[in-house]
Amino acid sequence: MRREIDGGRGRRRAAEGGTGWRHALRRMFGMPDYEGYLEHCRSSGHPPRLTEREYVKEFFDSKGTGSRCC
Amino acid sequence: MQPLASLLVWSGISVLGAAAFGVLALSRGETVNAAWLLIAALCTYAVGYRFYSKFLADRVFALDDRRATPAERCNNGRDFVPTNKWVLYGHHFAAIAGAGPLVGPVLAAQFGFLPGTLWLVIGVVLGGAVQDFVMLFCSLRRDGKSLGQMAKEEVNPAAGAMAMLAVLFIMIILLAVLALIVVNALKASPWGLFTIACTIPIALLMGWWMKRWRPGKVGEASAAGAVLLLGALVAGGWVAGQPQLAPLFTHSATALTWMMVAYGFIASVLPVWMLLCPRDYLSTFLKITTILVLAVAILVILPPLKMPALTPFASLGEGPVFAGKLFPFAFITIACGAISGFHALVASGTTPKMIARESDARLIGYGGMLMESFVGVMAMIAACTLDPGVYFAMNTTPAALAQASQVLGQAGFVVTPDVMSELAARMGETTLLARSGGAPSLAVGMAQIFAGATSALGGKTLDALWYHFAIMFEALFILTTIDTGTRVGRFMLQEVVGHVWPRFAETSWYPGVIASSALIVTGWGYFLYQGVVDPLGGINSLWPLFGISNQLLAAVALCVGTTVLIKMGRARFAWVTAAPLAWLAIVTMTAGWQKVFSADPRLGFLAHAASLAGSASPDAARLILNDRLNTFVALLFMTIVTVLIVTSLREWWLVLAHRKPAIVHEAPYVETGYATGD
Repeated sequence: MRREIDGGRGRRRAAEGGTGWRHALRRMFGMPDYEGYLEHCRSSGHPPRLTEREYVKEFFDSKGTGSRCC
Repeated sequence: MQPLASLLVWSGISVLGAAAFGVLALSRGETVNAAWLLIAALCTYAVGYRFYSKFLADRVFALDDRRATPAERCNNGRDFVPTNKWVLYGHHFAAIAGAGPLVGPVLAAQFGFLPGTLWLVIGVVLGGAVQDFVMLFCSLRRDGKSLGQMAKEEVNPAAGAMAMLAVLFIMIILLAVLALIVVNALKASPWGLFTIACTIPIALLMGWWMKRWRPGKVGEASAAGAVLLLGALVAGGWVAGQPQLAPLFTHSATALTWMMVAYGFIASVLPVWMLLCPRDYLSTFLKITTILVLAVAILVILPPLKMPALTPFASLGEGPVFAGKLFPFAFITIACGAISGFHALVASGTTPKMIARESDARLIGYGGMLMESFVGVMAMIAACTLDPGVYFAMNTTPAALAQASQVLGQAGFVVTPDVMSELAARMGETTLLARSGGAPSLAVGMAQIFAGATSALGGKTLDALWYHFAIMFEALFILTTIDTGTRVGRFMLQEVVGHVWPRFAETSWYPGVIASSALIVTGWGYFLYQGVVDPLGGINSLWPLFGISNQLLAAVALCVGTTVLIKMGRARFAWVTAAPLAWLAIVTMTAGWQKVFSADPRLGFLAHAASLAGSASPDAARLILNDRLNTFVALLFMTIVTVLIVTSLREWWLVLAHRKPAIVHEAPYVETGYATGD
């Protein structure tokens, strides 16, 4: 099975287009990562269900339910 | 590493840590450098992580990298995503670190630097980090289920209901006390209020940028927001110096209370992308950057600690910042830096859905909490670099200062009005007297450290700018917690009422949204107002209630963790969670009992109410009502703890006596598709 651990694969991702650090930072700061979503869809062999706007909307909506500590 | 070299290295670290603790503990009268505090903390964390967390991971939890995690099995490219452990460490730390580890140690500094530091360092290694790790482990094995769901399934439905009730009440007290800190920091401070007020339009602009203009471009929007924020900080100094503009941003604590309530309500009903998300990003960037810079600045200047190891208030229990002796109040005042129940919500929230391998939970759960404790140690250093006289003058109301004046005078903790005026002028404020809540004194300490570092590096000191930067840093992420907390409280209330009125549970039904938001805001707004008008400053009553409630939630988490360990057939290791649980139960019950029933009116709610009976003061009736309400809240928390512990004990006994099958509700085992050792 293809390995798919997001972020922290700087050298491998850099060779694939220099997006490794962008993915890592997006994950670390909880930002929407549509490129990562498209890559997941590609590797899973199904077309993307969401457009970028829909993805961003769903992402932000789900963030509103998360906890921030005191 | 070779066994002999490893033995020598770890022996060296242990000896160095022990020596640092020796210096801290044996110093009496002489000035101690902050370096010793840092060495003691870092060596303890290193030993705790290397040995105790490894024992927990290998022997107690038996983490298995061959088992697929929820992130791998349920990978949807959005919530469930296998993520590099260092990236997730940063994500988890940003979610757990808030105002608590900064403010708690500052308040506990009234006992001296030693008790708080010992609790921060030892408490985290044996309690707080264990709680976070065990919660992460339990949720990881249950597809990222929440604390309430796990309490319901693993203990019993009553425990699940108790956990949910506890979270709701804690949320209300937490939001009130955090709002009180912001109000006390911003009252009569045009510079501070202008800067914080500017964060609202900046956040709205960022929201529009990343939702409408360039969807998903959070980095761009955040960079623009950060530049505007720094611009607002500098402009705040100019505004404060303008006779026409400054009065517009100069308000009393009561006026600020109404502003906070209105803000909390609006933030809760607005779409999440508009205000909450952009503010969250801004505060996360600022939080991580500032904490890193503070760590470097402390290492650069290694400031001496002016606060003694122990003050007379540790044994007398008549401290002007808050009443009560070292035991139990040091252990509930410092909650988040040592052990925090709130972390159980994060550890059973987004983080377990992103863990790529089970073994990563050790770094993220245990290691993340060690970093939070280190933030608490830095806050303790910042507070203890202040002159004790300044510290007590800032953190105490005039009434409390008068009551403690004799002890303060005998201890030499005195400060002249001229010194306070000069300090206030240096920090760009009109006064720094009676700025209770911890944030302003932390800001002065941080400003002095930052200014010392910039001065050591050849720059200007810029005390006033650093002070307001520190205030902005604290207020920004407190307001983020108020945004998210009010919203989460609203969801919980909608869910509860939805059981009897299903329409109310619909998050898109605006009458329900508005009514539930109003109820939550009214709840914390009432406690906030009560704190603001309290002659003793509010922190004296609200912070202990917050500490008790937070530790109560930790007790809930540890009950669930212990139950899971027993059901997994690891009863012989149940002490790893049962011991901190027993300690928390003792501390919480003692503190709760004293807050309610102590005969000292400064400490006991009922004694304080009795002391006001027959008073001619027009505020007496309101203060008596507040005391009775606080009594009810404290007793409610104690009841919840008792019920939860008793139901858990019953469950443990039934399982251990084989009267009930030990059924764990783990997700089924699926072998990972990742190569072992990747």
